[in-house]
Amino acid sequence: MLFNSFGFGIFLIVVFVLYWFVFNRKLQQQNLLLMTASYFFYACWDWRFLFLLIFSTLLDYFTGLKMFQAKTQGLKTFWLWLSISINLGFLGVFKYYNFFASSLSALGADFGIHLSPFTLNVILPVGISFYTFHGLSYVIDVYKNRIKAERNFIDYSLFVSFFPLLVAGPIERATHLLPQVKTQRKFDYQEAINGLRQILWGLFKKAVIADQCADYANMIFANSSQFSGSTLVLGAVFFAFQIYCDFSGYSDMALGIAKLFGFELLRNFAFPYFSRDMAEFWRRWHISLSSWFRDYLYIPLGGSKTGTWLKVRNTLIIFLVSGFWHGANWTFIIWGLLNALFILPSILLKTNRNHLEIVAKGKAMPTPVEFMQMTLTFLQVVFAWIFFRADSVTQAFKYIGRIFSRSLFSIPQLDVNRAQLLEVIILIICFIIVEWQGRENQYAIEKLTWLRRRGYRLTFYYTLVVVIFLFTGKEQQFIYFQF
Amino acid sequence: MHRFLIKTILFALMSFVLILAVALIPGYMVNKFSKFSIKKNSTIALFGHSHSECAYNDTLIANFTNLSHSAESYFYTFQKVKKYLEQNPQVTTVLIEFSNNQIDNKMDDWTWGYTYMSNMFPQYASFMSFADMELLAKHNSKYFMNCIGIAARTNLIKTLSFNYDYTGKTGGYFKIDSSKHLPAGNPVNENARTSPNKNRISTTNLQYLRKIVDHCNNMHKHVFLIRSPQHPLYEFRNNEAEFSLIRERYFGDVKFLDFNNFPIKNDEFADFGHLNFKGALKFSAYINQRIINGMLNTGNTASIDQAANKAGN
Repeated sequence: MLFNSFGFGIFLIVVFVLYWFVFNRKLQQQNLLLMTASYFFYACWDWRFLFLLIFSTLLDYFTGLKMFQAKTQGLKTFWLWLSISINLGFLGVFKYYNFFASSLSALGADFGIHLSPFTLNVILPVGISFYTFHGLSYVIDVYKNRIKAERNFIDYSLFVSFFPLLVAGPIERATHLLPQVKTQRKFDYQEAINGLRQILWGLFKKAVIADQCADYANMIFANSSQFSGSTLVLGAVFFAFQIYCDFSGYSDMALGIAKLFGFELLRNFAFPYFSRDMAEFWRRWHISLSSWFRDYLYIPLGGSKTGTWLKVRNTLIIFLVSGFWHGANWTFIIWGLLNALFILPSILLKTNRNHLEIVAKGKAMPTPVEFMQMTLTFLQVVFAWIFFRADSVTQAFKYIGRIFSRSLFSIPQLDVNRAQLLEVIILIICFIIVEWQGRENQYAIEKLTWLRRRGYRLTFYYTLVVVIFLFTGKEQQFIYFQF
Repeated sequence: MHRFLIKTILFALMSFVLILAVALIPGYMVNKFSKFSIKKNSTIALFGHSHSECAYNDTLIANFTNLSHSAESYFYTFQKVKKYLEQNPQVTTVLIEFSNNQIDNKMDDWTWGYTYMSNMFPQYASFMSFADMELLAKHNSKYFMNCIGIAARTNLIKTLSFNYDYTGKTGGYFKIDSSKHLPAGNPVNENARTSPNKNRISTTNLQYLRKIVDHCNNMHKHVFLIRSPQHPLYEFRNNEAEFSLIRERYFGDVKFLDFNNFPIKNDEFADFGHLNFKGALKFSAYINQRIINGMLNTGNTASIDQAANKAGN
């Protein structure tokens, strides 16, 4: 059940009506309804993995309680590591086992040792990386006494499985979401309207920009050996817009849906392609994951308040783990490594916190220097995305090899309907303009201050609706569902 | 809450009206102004899928226009036939390719499978009746909604650019230069499937073939079913007995011009189902001669295979 499907629309309306009109008297009833709806939502993907979700929830719920009741630090640590081991064990089996088995086999072959590894014929449970990280953040926070263990199973279960964030985040923190779960929610007109507006923008990003770019990016990456360098650059740029609009579009819809039920989820994107350096990019891209790694991995390792070599080590670790989190493939690991290499100079030179505010705040246009900085950062990001998108490391290197050839300076050639390609390029340009205009907001069309009259704003919303209708092609799976 | 509900419902209603307008107004304009013209001297029009698209080089056949299109099921051919006959009264004879794979249930996928529907539906949506749309929606409701959007976009662009001309965009002779090395083997057993089986047959495709025939009859056109040459190893020939039975039972009233066994050499086929340019050259020259000799006037099909064999030898 994709957010941009008709079925989900019906589901959302039914849950909304039940939530505010039938079960609106008692908080526990509302939470029970949301928990049931969330399990139903998850079961629609694959009901068999619902048991895994429930098991993971029960595990963290009980270990949380056990840690809270533990009389000695040793016992507390034992329950923490038990939870971490089992959670990561599940993730390892479902997501990484085949990767390790085949990598070991390939390594053996390099040394002339023939290994026939046993591989598992299992599919990856949707959202496992996300709900595992929800659970881990909870048990670590309980261990660190940042939060009390939750005694109410329904409340805890809702924190883990709340359907807007269940399959692709944002990765929530118990310290942020659990207090909201336990507080009586009141319907807020402004927040609900704000939520609908954010859903509309997310839908536009996903159904129009991401899915249109996906057609071209998929075609170019699938036949990369046949295209010129300039066309391959175009393919990588299309993918850059695809992945941004796909994932941030999903996040916008998740945040908007949560607002309809009175919840405020963590922000996941803050206009990352307007970043002036890689450090700023990583503060604006997949914020909930970056901050998770920062708080639960980077800082415990010493963070940046250590010696030079430890800083380098910690940065490499966090980016390699982040790459590996995305998928069991060397392409993701190299993507992580590349990002680490891009960001390291600014960490070592202590310039990584130079750009904390959004670019050209309060101004209409960036300065030429800012523009150059944004362009260079974008090119670095696009370069790294090639590894992220490629099917294998070999394909990525061949792709890059073809880019840096004479054909880089040729006119891109694509055997497609030129009018349709032009439509997509125009849409991307319009999208960039709207994002730029709204870059000081939580999401681009939150306030639309550049459209002063209410009539203009309404026209803009209706235009978005019509464009979504006209450009919605075949539903494409959200990229981050595979992680 | 009431304010929120009222505003949301109003917004949804207004959006719905706008979407309807965007979908219907350009669709109406395209239906009204669309142009499906063929040469004024063309009195014979051929419709079909890729077999006929590759077999009939219409520059070699007098007064003949090939309007066949690859992977086109009769559902979409029907929409095309309606417009061509309406706008080209000079056409007196309609030939419709009818070959073995057109009874197969893979034609259902050609009708409402997403890949095919998203290509063909936007092209012809404006000319479809409600029942036609209902059929697609019934069989593939999920992707039909997506295709409605694609069709609206296509029609909107046509309307905004005043480009209503379908000429040259709905099919035509397709020249294949290459010839693959075709493997040797025993001819397909044509009696492998003798009795029609609902699960293997596309009843929708056959129903729409019937609609095409009836429409041509209503327009007082001469209608023929025609089968272009197929290689003896062509896999779909295994339903020959089933094919003959269906043809006799449901299309017995339509003259059938059968060139299935027209002698074509291996290097004149592009693959088992399609002729390359050499095969098309040979076959088209032969068809031209047969038309001049009055094949379409007499409808004398009994001797066609014999004559074809002679021509090949």
